[in-house]
Amino acid sequence: MTDPAIEVNQLSKDFRLGWHGSVVHALVEVSLNVPRGQIFGLLGPNGAGKTTLVKILLGSLYPGTGTAAVNGHDIRNPSARRRVGFLPENHRFPPYQTAEQMLYCFGGLAGLSRSEVKSNIERLLAMVDMVKWRRTRIRKFSKGMAQRLGLAQALLNDPEIIFLDEPTDGVDPIGRREIRDILKELGRQGKTIFLNSHLLAEVESVCDHVAILNKGRLIKTGPVAGLIASRPSYEVETTGLKPEVIEKVRAGFEQVTVGEKRLTVVFDEAVKINELVDLLRQNGVVLVAVTPVRLSLEDSFMQLIKESGEGGRDEQV
Amino acid sequence: MNRFSSILADSVLEISSRWVIYLYLAVTLVAAFFLAVLPSFTIEGEDIFESGMISPDMIGMFVVYFYSGYWGFFILLMIFGSAWLVPSYLGRGRIELTLSKPVRRMSLLGMKFVSVFLVKAVLLSLSTVVIWVVLSIRLGSFSLNFVPGLAMAWLVFLVVYAIVFSIGVVSRSGALAIMGYLVISIAAKLLAGRELVYQFLGKSWQIILDTIYHIVPKMGQMEDSYGTLMAGEGFADFYPVWSSLLFAAVVVMGALLVFNRRDW
Repeated sequence: MTDPAIEVNQLSKDFRLGWHGSVVHALVEVSLNVPRGQIFGLLGPNGAGKTTLVKILLGSLYPGTGTAAVNGHDIRNPSARRRVGFLPENHRFPPYQTAEQMLYCFGGLAGLSRSEVKSNIERLLAMVDMVKWRRTRIRKFSKGMAQRLGLAQALLNDPEIIFLDEPTDGVDPIGRREIRDILKELGRQGKTIFLNSHLLAEVESVCDHVAILNKGRLIKTGPVAGLIASRPSYEVETTGLKPEVIEKVRAGFEQVTVGEKRLTVVFDEAVKINELVDLLRQNGVVLVAVTPVRLSLEDSFMQLIKESGEGGRDEQV
Repeated sequence: MNRFSSILADSVLEISSRWVIYLYLAVTLVAAFFLAVLPSFTIEGEDIFESGMISPDMIGMFVVYFYSGYWGFFILLMIFGSAWLVPSYLGRGRIELTLSKPVRRMSLLGMKFVSVFLVKAVLLSLSTVVIWVVLSIRLGSFSLNFVPGLAMAWLVFLVVYAIVFSIGVVSRSGALAIMGYLVISIAAKLLAGRELVYQFLGKSWQIILDTIYHIVPKMGQMEDSYGTLMAGEGFADFYPVWSSLLFAAVVVMGALLVFNRRDW
């Protein structure tokens, strides 16, 4: 199949707060495509619209305007969710069920027969290291244990696309590492993974592509490596850096961080480092070192969010 | 079928995990104990049934009253035990996962409604059978006359559960569902006696009260059929039964439509 795993076209969604309250634009004309086999990260500050987008794609919210398709099926059609796995954020699995009962129940809802679920349970519980807790009630699980069980549940129907909303939330560092390894392995198996996470280092280490949402708008999408490399950054070590020179640098360049004897400047284009060097030399600043700095995804993310305005949602009364 | 059996299994597990299941058991055992052990059927040292002190008709009436009261109380308990099931099912963190499965929303909630009704109907039946066995031993007669009455008790429960279910879906609150049921239940009882106050009301008020009477379910009048059904005489009045079932069908359909249209 050549059609994308997930196709979102001009999707918008508004919420009204109360009967006559303000309108919140949770999503504003969002368009994106996720090709098959990609590990795709969706980033954004709280209230950016990430969970809204996932909920629309998985049928718990209706889109306002625009269209979306999952696995080639319109999201309004339940067939779109046939080969899909989902681990929601802040999930509340039935506390009265055991791990095994929960997998049977949700496996059955996914359309699997009892024997199909049975053949998968052992493997999946072993994968998330939950075999010994299979007959324990969920109410006794820690957050991390419930999260690992949720991951097993998301993989129960051998999904082609897996939506994970904060999958490592509440999981200890060892468990996080294990979950990351599972995600990478699933990626190698050709599964499409749609990862919603606040943990940017996690997204950077796992995802191929990312999209960044802010105030319901898609502000950037592309490969993780490209996103980081597209923002050349240099650290300039100097002597004789005076306040008036710093002001001139700030006036000429947008993203300037000033430390003791150090300037860190992010450029739109790498060639602009020459302009900075010229400016500093004209003002009598002695350059000790000019070092390229590799931005992390977090640095790029912070800059992009800053450029597009602070986080949160747009409201209109 | 896999999907329905999954939802049924979930309903069985949820109902059996709640404290109210012990209350059902306790009520059944207390009633059975009352019938089996306590010397409450003796007058001046003589067993009223075995001595022939009272007629078979009176015994029959006692049985009908006992079952009617027992079912009324048991259904009330079942309503209290069911009111929170739907709000819990629709709770955040759970409904998103359920809706992510490839099932139509109406089917999903419809199956939940049916599954809870079936589990509760089985519980009511099991409890009734325990009572029937003890009562039959006590009376020395194993008559199956209670079966049509039990079927009517299912229908009464179906109507009241439809109310609680529908309010639960719309409000996502078990407490509101109980309050709604109580309001409708009291209104139905008052409206059944509306003709007593007609002399104080104008024509337009009579029409309004009549209309409301015909709309709301008539659980009390449905319960009046226990006796005639158990006596093998059929329905005392079929109108309260079908009009109440129609009301139940309409409110459940309304709840399904609300569930289908709403963002979760």
